[in-house]
Amino acid sequence: MAEEVPIARSPIVPADPEVVAAGWAVSGRRSSAALRITDCMPLAKVAIKAPLGGAMAHGLGVRFGRSARQRWEIGEGEAVVLVVGAGPGEWLVLGPPRTQDRLRSVLCHTAAVTDELVSVIDLTHGRALLRLTGERSGDLLAKECGVDLADEACPDGAALRSAVSGVATDLIRDDVDGADRAPTTSYLLHCERSSGQYLFDSLLDAGAELGVDIDGYVPPGL
Amino acid sequence: MTVLREIGRAPDPMAMRLDTRPGEVVDRETAFTFYWNGHSYPAYEGDTIASALAACGVRIFSRSFKYHRPRGLLTADYLDPGCIVQVDDEPNVRGGHRLARPGMTVRPQDTWPSLAHDVKAANGLLGRFLGPGFYYKTFIRPQSLWPTYERVLRRFAHGGEVPATAQAPGGRPRYDKRFAHPDVLVAGAGPAGIAAAVAAARSGAQVVLVEEEHSLGGHLRWGGPADLTALQELRDLVGATPGIEVLTNSVVLGRYDDNWVAVVQRGLAGGAERLVKARVKCLVVAAGLLERPYVFAGNDIPGVMLSTAVRRLVNLYAVRPGTRAVVLTANPEGDATAEDLTTAGVQVVHVEDARRGGDVVRAFGRSGVTAVEVAGGRRLECDLLVTSVGWTAPVSLLTMAGNIPRYDERCARFRPDVARLPSGVMATGGIVGDGSTAELVAHGEATGREAANRADRLAREWRTMAPQGSGEGAARPAPRPESARIPELAPQPHPELFRGATHGIVDFSEDVSSKDLFTAVAEGYRYVELAKRYTTATMGPAQGKLETVNVVAIVAEATGRTIAETGTTTWRPPYAPVTLGALAGRSREPRRVTPMQPWHELHGAVPLVAGAWIRPDHYGDPESEVLAVRERVGIIDVTPIGKIDLRGPDVPRLLNLLYVNRWSKLDVGRVRYGVMCAEDGVVLDDGVTGRLDIDHYLMSTTSSGAATVWEWAERWLQTEHPDWQVQVTPVTTAYASVNVAGPRSRELVQRVVDDIDVSSEAFPYMAVRVGQVAGVAGCVLWRIGFTGELSYELHIPASYGLHLWERLLEQGRDLGVRPFGVEAQRILRLEKGHLIVGQDTDGLTRAFSAGLAGLVKLDKDDFVGMPELGWQRESGDDVRLVALRTADPALVPHEGTQLIDGNDRICGRITSSRMSPTLGRSVCLAQVAEHLAQPGTEVAIRLTDGGTAVATVSEHLAQVDLQGVRLRG
Amino acid sequence: MIVLTCPWCGARDSEEFGYVGELGARRPDPKAATPAQWRSYLYQRANIAGWTSERWYHRMGCRRFLTVERDTTTNEVRSVLDAGGLAEDQ
Repeated sequence: MAEEVPIARSPIVPADPEVVAAGWAVSGRRSSAALRITDCMPLAKVAIKAPLGGAMAHGLGVRFGRSARQRWEIGEGEAVVLVVGAGPGEWLVLGPPRTQDRLRSVLCHTAAVTDELVSVIDLTHGRALLRLTGERSGDLLAKECGVDLADEACPDGAALRSAVSGVATDLIRDDVDGADRAPTTSYLLHCERSSGQYLFDSLLDAGAELGVDIDGYVPPGL
Repeated sequence: MTVLREIGRAPDPMAMRLDTRPGEVVDRETAFTFYWNGHSYPAYEGDTIASALAACGVRIFSRSFKYHRPRGLLTADYLDPGCIVQVDDEPNVRGGHRLARPGMTVRPQDTWPSLAHDVKAANGLLGRFLGPGFYYKTFIRPQSLWPTYERVLRRFAHGGEVPATAQAPGGRPRYDKRFAHPDVLVAGAGPAGIAAAVAAARSGAQVVLVEEEHSLGGHLRWGGPADLTALQELRDLVGATPGIEVLTNSVVLGRYDDNWVAVVQRGLAGGAERLVKARVKCLVVAAGLLERPYVFAGNDIPGVMLSTAVRRLVNLYAVRPGTRAVVLTANPEGDATAEDLTTAGVQVVHVEDARRGGDVVRAFGRSGVTAVEVAGGRRLECDLLVTSVGWTAPVSLLTMAGNIPRYDERCARFRPDVARLPSGVMATGGIVGDGSTAELVAHGEATGREAANRADRLAREWRTMAPQGSGEGAARPAPRPESARIPELAPQPHPELFRGATHGIVDFSEDVSSKDLFTAVAEGYRYVELAKRYTTATMGPAQGKLETVNVVAIVAEATGRTIAETGTTTWRPPYAPVTLGALAGRSREPRRVTPMQPWHELHGAVPLVAGAWIRPDHYGDPESEVLAVRERVGIIDVTPIGKIDLRGPDVPRLLNLLYVNRWSKLDVGRVRYGVMCAEDGVVLDDGVTGRLDIDHYLMSTTSSGAATVWEWAERWLQTEHPDWQVQVTPVTTAYASVNVAGPRSRELVQRVVDDIDVSSEAFPYMAVRVGQVAGVAGCVLWRIGFTGELSYELHIPASYGLHLWERLLEQGRDLGVRPFGVEAQRILRLEKGHLIVGQDTDGLTRAFSAGLAGLVKLDKDDFVGMPELGWQRESGDDVRLVALRTADPALVPHEGTQLIDGNDRICGRITSSRMSPTLGRSVCLAQVAEHLAQPGTEVAIRLTDGGTAVATVSEHLAQVDLQGVRLRG
Repeated sequence: MIVLTCPWCGARDSEEFGYVGELGARRPDPKAATPAQWRSYLYQRANIAGWTSERWYHRMGCRRFLTVERDTTTNEVRSVLDAGGLAEDQ
């Protein structure tokens, strides 16, 4: 009794109006506030474990503590992905919505060639993913995260894991182009799924005095 | 009655307000009113509560703690022990510091029935009964009266009324927190502190400058024209120097290991406080000096003030503190105070110079000073007595860094041992020594530069270690040369003045007199730490900042030792009081929910808080939920069950190590139940693990054990077997998990699976299948039976969990499907005799005690806890988990109820008990002593009312479906 | 709260880590150990005032078990190493 793939739901209840994008129920809200938070749940999220210093690690080309945008051939097309050195021997690949199966098969294929022990696990649905954008995003995070996020310690492209609001969270500094093409400070926050709503609410609460606002999701969002 | 008149009359608007002073901080263009003790008073913007009231002639602000003597202003700043008030719903506000605001309601604290007529002032007459140790001696026997004593004592205690909520009026949060990572944090913004901050920032450091008062400048603010010029220059420098974050009305609470520095920021919008948790690379303590009160008879009468209090009132707030003054001075600041009073139109009737043998013997008056007796017996009429007899270095932050201050008799104060400070902590300014403004600034500058250097070295070290750098060249300039020389800042000589010829109050907050300290010493409390605790001197709201050195000096005097021999008491955090709200921060409690939580909430689920998880306990009627599962089909959201993805050729070795049972021969497509123990043999967790592929397994754990088991596996792999080829990935919330249980569960599951054959032959008990469910690929299904019924656990990618849940309810409507919660599940498993780790086992329960003998494979090469379990099996004198059948089927003994043997000794306890809807009688699991564990043995249950009831040990743990026919159907 | 310089993540607050315990005797052979040997491994700790080697787990960070040399009297830390000997450039 096969059926259509249903609508996927984020752990974070979408702010009104709820719309469907790329098979996901997301918020259609638009904000131009100087400090914005976006639920980026629809992005594909694939976790990789592989030996340090091995062929798979070399192929991914990103060391622990850093992230990089790469253009990958996936199946019939290309995709821009963000490869994150998330832990020792641990990587996270973020891709456009609905690419997780293709990303996984590309990665599994590469892994098979290396002959190393490699785990490739689709965690698209297993993690929450938020983006915090704005010059004062560091000030907001300083309320909830004890790591020094100053530019010198945590420049664009940095990746680290720490506690944010008490939840183990991958923090990726991933600046975006602002309205006038000037780079704007932005962070991706990636945590275990069931804590997603709590983390989102906690950041909204902490950022209230800084004027943080919810901005809906627009694909591809990477 | 003079007091009554003063309080009761309409305030004389600013009768004591002076004409404009050069350094005043009040804005005369902005006037407003507020309320004190039920009456309206005028104030200017910039006034503190104390200065505004003093400007209107108010002299009494509180009643003292023990004897309820009237108290006025002593220091006119944050520390003032006489001016602690209730402001709106906020207790214990420091009236000498808190700025007056339009409309604020200020009330005195701890005065009953009124400030003017304080019933407890009778204590003053009974003073001899309230000597040191009074509370210890009086309220000790009989113990049965302790609750009464507590009620009596509570009425005599400090403290106002605590607000009922954490929200400030207007709904804004009252409290906040943030982290900070400054290179240099300067505590104190007098001339040296400002100079240090500017110099450090100019050297490239990110600086936080913390000042407890509302503006920068320290003592320069109430100084003469030269001081005010220097003040303006220093403030301009701060404004012009990038890289300095200025926190005024903020105070450093403590310095902890590795320069973890807590700062509380006060007076934010909405009255909020914010705790700043700063990891500081170099801390510069520039806390200045505090003026010390003098001990003599009558030293707490309103109108006796410190010289700094007078200079603040006159020069900052343009308030005339009296009309006729006597000044006792031992230093230039005291001399300057006499000059300030003259310019303020106060008649200085006499200056008593302590440097030339002058002294104050006693002050006279009740609600205010009326006269003073000075050395030689001369009596002078006055309403203001100013003392300027010495300084205390507030060394708290340095002692928190391990520094031991030493008494220096030449300058009559304890001084930090700056040569022995750790490299991350420096000191500058008055706390180090005395000097002109230029000398203080020079010392501060050199200290600030060196602090920046030290911070830079540490920053480089840390950044070299961190992996986040882009590697695109260091953003910082090359390291600077080694330290610049820091000039000397020697203390000026000062006479030693602590107590005069009479006894007076030492601790104004706690109402402890020098006589009390002499008594304590006479009673044997000869060490200052003991005398302090016995008398409670230094233990009140001022926390010793005003009184510690006087306490030490008086204990030294009473014991015939020197001050250096007596030593000081320990300075501990917090340096200043902080609300518990600020320490707690914004209300925040991690909360985990499943994808189906919105449905649960909509359908009346009663929430169960299980760790961070919020789960449905039941939907209104757990018994009928149980019957639905036994008779038809039920579904339960079991998403919190731990799931761990295991990959690699050595996974079986890991499973064999962690579980007590055997894992070598698990076929692909099969699941097995396993139990883990710790190295002491105590049951740690249980769950099923399925083999999805050759080198791919999915382990499940208990909900509460998910994180523990993951860490446990990592620990064994990383520290004992780093050579094993295993990768562990927690995937608990990657899947939403639903258990479909009941005789009709197969029918229901059949309706939602897309490509899985769920027939009994194709999908037997303890099998696992991967496939598409309800249109979603990548689902994992296993057939297990915690409830004792035919059941399937469906794990679906979590974003589709709600979809699956709704689909099951919709598809199962004709089958009578019902959602059930944790409570029904607990009853179901109890009927089936399945244990819950942590409920039916505890921190001492080893595997053989938990009815798991059949599982433990002692012939394996190794597993965690194996030796202990081997010895447990041999010893045979432990407890056993059994099912108990109460003689009275309606009796459900409380969980935790004790079992007693024939000799009235405890022999076990009930671990789980419920009324079974299936059997219509109670069912229990219990731990009993092994010799009583034989089926048919009778044990007694000690009921909570003291009576006993009889129960019999059952043959099986299970009470329903003993053969497991339902499970395997 | 002390700073631990994690070999993977850099300087972090100790709040991010879990303290596992003092490094003591190695795990005895479970087949041959006497009760005395096994319980010494389970329960006996030196509890040194001074330099100790101990195990920590970077729970909120790299999730690696670490060997930390710490002076229990001053909280000074002089080395933090990966307990499993893992390194980036191996």
